[in-house]
Amino acid sequence: MKPAREKTDLDVPDQLSGPRRIIGDRGDHFLRKVEGETGADISACYQCERCTNACPVSAYMDVNPHQVIRYVQLGWREELLRTTTIWVCLSCEMCTTYCPNNVDVAKTINHLRNMAFLSKVVPAEKILAVFHKTFVNELQRFGRVNEFWLMGSLNRHPDVLKEKIKTGALKEELVLGFEMFRKGKLKLLPHRCNEMKKIREICRK
Amino acid sequence: MNLAFYPGCSLEGMANDYERSITAVFDKLDVKLVEIDDWTCCGATAAHSLSETMAVLLPAKNLAAAEKMGLDIVSPCANCFNRLTYSRKMILKNIYDVPWKVTGKTKIYDMTRFLAQPHMIDQIKQKVLMPLEGLRLVSYYGCQMVRPPKITGFTDYENPQTLDKIAVALGAISLDWSYKATCCGASIGIGRRDIQFNLSTRLIKKAHQAGAEAIIVSCPLCQSNLDMVQNEKGMPKIPVFYFTEMMRLAFEGEKCSIQNFRMHLTDPGRLLREKGLVK
Repeated sequence: MKPAREKTDLDVPDQLSGPRRIIGDRGDHFLRKVEGETGADISACYQCERCTNACPVSAYMDVNPHQVIRYVQLGWREELLRTTTIWVCLSCEMCTTYCPNNVDVAKTINHLRNMAFLSKVVPAEKILAVFHKTFVNELQRFGRVNEFWLMGSLNRHPDVLKEKIKTGALKEELVLGFEMFRKGKLKLLPHRCNEMKKIREICRK
Repeated sequence: MNLAFYPGCSLEGMANDYERSITAVFDKLDVKLVEIDDWTCCGATAAHSLSETMAVLLPAKNLAAAEKMGLDIVSPCANCFNRLTYSRKMILKNIYDVPWKVTGKTKIYDMTRFLAQPHMIDQIKQKVLMPLEGLRLVSYYGCQMVRPPKITGFTDYENPQTLDKIAVALGAISLDWSYKATCCGASIGIGRRDIQFNLSTRLIKKAHQAGAEAIIVSCPLCQSNLDMVQNEKGMPKIPVFYFTEMMRLAFEGEKCSIQNFRMHLTDPGRLLREKGLVK
């Protein structure tokens, strides 16, 4: 058995670190799992930071795209699922397009988002997480997504409603909604598709 | 020539003017659009955020329906086009259990790329009744239409040309700018208004600096983002048109009334009257 490591001055805890942060102590099974599931060659990354420089929203992320790849290599799963990065990512595919080593960064981040939905980790951007779920729920209901109904059911969600009343965004949204209705941009009655049974089956996968 | 038309959810609601202009434009061209029977949503960003399998299987129904019709698909929405191509590529790998039969025979066109083919450009030039002379446009492509190039098949993904070619064919001046394929923020405005505001504002300001009088787009979400952000104080007012609206204006000439542009939040009436394009 390995002797417990003594605490040194080097172990300065930052906001993301838990008790264990020794490089290589978690093995490579998380790396192999993510590589296998996404098909992205994550090991090929040599940290040139080109993805981070290309990313339009890297300024709003707590862990930058190139760091995400490094965290996956190190197996820091929980730290990754707790980041804002996986929610802020726009899937604009700049990182994937410009990576010199063909690492599919966007797909990796997207896969982490899938993992976050399945895990019990509380999402860092709650409203965005609720939005994605609401979107798919609406899709299951009619087969097509109607913006008016989508925003309606999103705003009925208690967390979102509370947040929007607190920041005053609800009032602005109602004004904008009325303006859009006046311009004829809203379709009030949704269209229902025929093969809903199969669609719902897919959505359960 | 017939094409299977996959409009996408936005064109039923927020971007209804896009659909109407598409119908009007294709009435004049020698191409007939046949709407895919009982099409469903492609899943957009939400589906692939929740589960990769869902994102691959949802568009399969539309692909299968188009194959049954035996026609190539054309999609006006950038995200729908991206999801359909991605889905077809993944289904052909034969690792998913797909409830519909997809063989991958049909081609999937993005609407701008279909219209920017040399023979279509010639046809557009012939149909122009009133050239949009003196109108200075910048084209904005957005992300999903051009990236990732391995899926969309754009070879000039850094400086795409399809919309520019159409604009020049209509007689307008197409300006060069560096933000053709920079992200507008997509649906992130739902949870983080600040990020979306910053990204969209930058695009509007850069378009203004490039000397543009209007922006032409082909993505419904980009249009609504760029249009809505101009409500804020101190923003330059640049109308954001769908490229088909400009085509309709050039094709119909004086018959095209200002009523066709009433769904824009930033009023394009002043610009068009100044240029003498509508009465």
